[in-house]
Amino acid sequence: MPSLSAFLKSLILLTVFAFIGGGLFLYSGFYPIGADTPHHPVTYWALETLRERSIARVAKNIDVPADLDSSDRLLAGGADYNDMCAGCHLKPGKLESDFTIGLYPSPPNLNLPEDEHAHSHGPSDSNTNAIKRQFWIIKHGIKASGMPAWGPTHSDERIWNMVAFLQRLPTLSKDQYQILTARGDVEGTHEH
Amino acid sequence: MKTLLTHLSIVLIILSGHAYAHDPSEHNEKKENPKCEKMKSMDHSKMNSDDPVMQAMMKKCMMEKSMMEKSMHHDENQSEAGPEEEPAEDKAEDEHADHQH
Repeated sequence: MPSLSAFLKSLILLTVFAFIGGGLFLYSGFYPIGADTPHHPVTYWALETLRERSIARVAKNIDVPADLDSSDRLLAGGADYNDMCAGCHLKPGKLESDFTIGLYPSPPNLNLPEDEHAHSHGPSDSNTNAIKRQFWIIKHGIKASGMPAWGPTHSDERIWNMVAFLQRLPTLSKDQYQILTARGDVEGTHEH
Repeated sequence: MKTLLTHLSIVLIILSGHAYAHDPSEHNEKKENPKCEKMKSMDHSKMNSDDPVMQAMMKKCMMEKSMMEKSMHHDENQSEAGPEEEPAEDKAEDEHADHQH
């Protein structure tokens, strides 16, 4: 039976070889970094789990505003969604864009209900968790995914407005979407 | 040292101003007007006046209508005044004075 010191020596050797092997692989350039080469399913699962666990941990203490379903929030958030998000996350009547085809992982289609485009959460408070998750993702972004952090340039109120709009987006028709998101003459151009 | 700190503060204040200067008007390059006439062709039996989507559309179209009326009123006043009554520059100044929002 091998002694404890022999076992430790083997462990150290294995660790050293793993570091050297990893370093050689990093510097070799053999990793296919292109967005058109999908991850191995195990890598994809690991990254997705890492993302979801991280967001669930940091988003759980976010307070959701009580007036999230107000028409004012829908109006304010709709215009921002159209300008900042619709290119990747689509809008009613649009099933794909250059971004949804080219980005990897592909951005979720937010016109679909939550259970069809993303991941299900707890059974009872799943909607509240999904709302917190959306706010956190819009504010902080996600590393190496193409999702930017809008927090540094947008206030929490503006981000909540976008979250409010997202709750109604899957139910909107093309015409309703156009009316809610068009900035028209009302916004921006008439500030005295 | 004080001068250095003062200069550094000024630079930081200027930079922080840029970081938060993200106004909605910055998104206004491809301005589109709401097509409120489409509301007439929507299925009214499915419309509920308590629905926030419905309320938001009504608000948007009311605001748009009021802006258009103001704009038309503004244009009418300009054409009624006529170019001969007073020099164009003076007239423009007067209108701005009358039209403070």
